[in-house]
Amino acid sequence: MEIPVNFSEFDFTNKRRVKRVEKFLNDIGLELPNSVENFVIAKEEDELIACGGLDGRVLKGIAVAPSHRGEGLILSVMTNLINIAYSKGIKELFIFSTPNNIELFEGCGFNLIENCDNEIILMENTNNIQIYKEKLFKQRKEGSVIGSIVMNANPFTLGHQYLVEQAAEKSEWLHLFVVKEDLSEFKFKDRFELIKKGISHISNVTIHEGSDYIISNATFPTYFIKDKGKINELHAKLDLNIFRNHLAPVLGITHRFVGTEPYCVVTNNYNKNMKKILEDPSGKSNPIEVVEIQRVEKNGKAISASRVRELLKKQDFDKLKEIVPLSTFEFLNRKNDE
Amino acid sequence: MNKIDKSAYAGTLESSDAFIQIEPIEQDEIKIELHSSVEEMYGDDIRDLITKCVQELGISYISIKVQDKGALDYVIKARLQAAILRANKKDTIEWEKL
Repeated sequence: MEIPVNFSEFDFTNKRRVKRVEKFLNDIGLELPNSVENFVIAKEEDELIACGGLDGRVLKGIAVAPSHRGEGLILSVMTNLINIAYSKGIKELFIFSTPNNIELFEGCGFNLIENCDNEIILMENTNNIQIYKEKLFKQRKEGSVIGSIVMNANPFTLGHQYLVEQAAEKSEWLHLFVVKEDLSEFKFKDRFELIKKGISHISNVTIHEGSDYIISNATFPTYFIKDKGKINELHAKLDLNIFRNHLAPVLGITHRFVGTEPYCVVTNNYNKNMKKILEDPSGKSNPIEVVEIQRVEKNGKAISASRVRELLKKQDFDKLKEIVPLSTFEFLNRKNDE
Repeated sequence: MNKIDKSAYAGTLESSDAFIQIEPIEQDEIKIELHSSVEEMYGDDIRDLITKCVQELGISYISIKVQDKGALDYVIKARLQAAILRANKKDTIEWEKL
């Protein structure tokens, strides 16, 4: 007689059951992904035989016990995960997994975005990356040096302004991407506005809204928890590969500019990875030269957005005024009065 | 009712079933995106079936995404009807049309 398979779901607060999932994954050589909110598991009698997790819009940690592969269990796990996502109102989903599963997930309606060194893949159940690329393509400019910057600007400082000025000077045209995810202290809308005001004197630059494909919660979740000093190199790699192989080619980007990073280990590591991945001559697309621009200092300290947030906490508006453009200063003042 | 109120879905990804997602769109059109394990043999039939079923319910301005795992006709029809009913405010169901 066939033994029935039971599916159940629970969230991350159920420590005991999460532990079981972790053990199951470890036993088959996988790790429990960080920050999963909802889990789905399949059990045969008392034995865990498949699992999957949902972290925001990203499905991860999907696995089936080797002895039960080929039974279509993954389809049930996926159905359950999609149901959970839908019930939370999330329809646009990503999958973070390994390349051996590409076909399987294609059968569930997902399209491959990027296969990174045959180590990790990112897939989505929409064609949004194509739509985004078409939108970018309309803003393409021709030239031998087409620069790019990706910034969160949380909030925009004189340091950011200097970086954009330097990059614009060295480029025929500059594309500036603003991280879109609203996980930072300052909202996207405000960050975007402050950048726009702060660089209004520069004529050869286009500001783009970032997307799910540039330092977002989907491609690069650990970027936003860097205060905890944790970063996943795979995520950084994925993010940079998407930039190089998808976004840079449609805009004809040849250079990427970054500020040197004296304080934050995470960002520093990201910059190192950036050089390695974007400049690699053996990649799938044209290499992109990474140019590090020395940060501006004020009273012996590099200007950074984290310093601004620190001063803001201390309500030290005199010092604050020295390291942000007037437009940012006025905004901070207004916000403080509210 | 020729429009649906919101997006909805029905079905599963399992064998012999279909997973159907529908969404309202701006244009007066029945847009179908079909992924089927039996596409080669029955792709066109399934598209016809979906179009007919949607028309019977008097719906247009709709985008339909189907993951078919070899579902029989009446399974696809039932899943599609369920999705459409879920996408509309309950009191507008016209049972005689189903």
